Amino acid sequence: MKAASVTAQHWLLPALVLAAWQIFGAAGLLPRYLSTPTAIAVALWEIARTGELFAALAVSLFRVAAGFALGTAAGMLLGLAAGMIPAVRHFFDPLVSFLYAIPKVAFLPVLLLLLGLGHASKIALIGFSCFFPVFIAARHAVLSVNRLFLWAARNMGAPPHIILFRVLIPGAAPELFAGIRIALAHAFVVLFAAELIGSKSGLGTIISYGEEWVRFDLMFAGIVCFAALGFLGDRLLLAVRARLLKGQMLATEERLLQ
Amino acid sequence: MMAGLKSLQMGSRIARWYSIPLLLVLWQAAVASGLVHSRLLPGPGTVWTALLEETGNGALIHHAGITLARALTGFSLAALIGMPFAIAMARSTLMRNLLEPIFFVGYPVPKIALFPVFTYVFGIGTPSKIAFTFLECLYPIVVTCYFGFRGVETRLIWSAQNCGADRVTILRRVILPAAMPSVFSGLRIALPVSIIVVVITEMIGDSVGLGYYITIWSTRFRFANVYAAIVVIGICGLALDQALLAVRRRALPWQREQS
Repeated sequence: MKAASVTAQHWLLPALVLAAWQIFGAAGLLPRYLSTPTAIAVALWEIARTGELFAALAVSLFRVAAGFALGTAAGMLLGLAAGMIPAVRHFFDPLVSFLYAIPKVAFLPVLLLLLGLGHASKIALIGFSCFFPVFIAARHAVLSVNRLFLWAARNMGAPPHIILFRVLIPGAAPELFAGIRIALAHAFVVLFAAELIGSKSGLGTIISYGEEWVRFDLMFAGIVCFAALGFLGDRLLLAVRARLLKGQMLATEERLLQ
Repeated sequence: MMAGLKSLQMGSRIARWYSIPLLLVLWQAAVASGLVHSRLLPGPGTVWTALLEETGNGALIHHAGITLARALTGFSLAALIGMPFAIAMARSTLMRNLLEPIFFVGYPVPKIALFPVFTYVFGIGTPSKIAFTFLECLYPIVVTCYFGFRGVETRLIWSAQNCGADRVTILRRVILPAAMPSVFSGLRIALPVSIIVVVITEMIGDSVGLGYYITIWSTRFRFANVYAAIVVIGICGLALDQALLAVRRRALPWQREQS
């Protein structure tokens, strides 16, 4: 099939939905809370011009980046340690398997009281949620590194830090990235819930103000920005992975998800 | 000899689970010594009492039942509707070209941002929770199942065709069984998502369910009840996962356990 017609098919459904939304919305046939794509674009331009958007974006981005970095770093360190050292593994396994099943957002009310409405409570909660998928992936990845590689490295007299950085971490990296990707998705869900439930700044508040003031175009503008932020974050992570794991990405179907 | 081996195994099992009781003891010690604020973090004994009391008077069971019913309805709808989509995308180029951008580009988009819109379309009660859980579960199910259906070895399909099987028979007897392991891994990703999403959306706005229960008791500063509800959510999650694994054991007796 020609590339042009494939592209046309790719764009068909999204374009149809957007067109129908615009036409029926402008004709007043849709409920008012659905707004119209052009009105949303205008609202986006408006908050971009006043600078409101960038202030909110900076706040949300700071929270998600800080929480994600802390949670991922902790999960990676402890997960690698749990994969290599049985004592660490035996300490964390029961705790993780119990806490993993609990939505971390449930701790939000406690953290809000403990750390206040500002950045700290969101960062703590995001970090807490990011820890688990990364820990589980790192622990499992280290344990499933081919033992032959380890034995070979040991036989050739490699010291422990060489084994860690040249054998274990590269071998665990693909699965580690899968865990980090899940953590990033969790981070955005938690950020949204935390900003909507208890916050006075950030993208979540643009959305809730839009609802309060019955400015549905503003609400959608916030939603579009939030969705774009999550999407771009994921793309950035995939780009980093593609750079770090050049050879290991061959012959996988994951390119479809990019 | 046997008894000795058994007690050794018991011993190592206890050694493996020591961290949970250890943490409970540390928690109790921290509360008793006044290191942490006992209103924010009541001791394990207080939480246990609250758990028994609130289970006894039926409050936790009532809210947990509502949360579970919503999660399972949304999850089942996503499985029932997502699977045909995954098959259609795997088997037809046109469907693949039409739907690929929706499922693959939409996959990393945080869909939670759309929840306010859902509350306008479906109201704040049960329907918006179910609809949103459906959306959140649909993506992992469709994407994982799609790779499963695509990954069926062409050799198997060819030999079925050679034996004179028609399209329906091939789908039912070759493609579905071969893709079953991926289908179950997709379901296993989506199942905890369903509970998380229902609890979050209940915390954002509702008057029933475990998420509401957590919000309302934390505004009343009764944190023992909050922790009791968190324990109940954890138990529900573990129970659902175990139930799904049991179904998989029945459905896929040939596949070895890997959990």
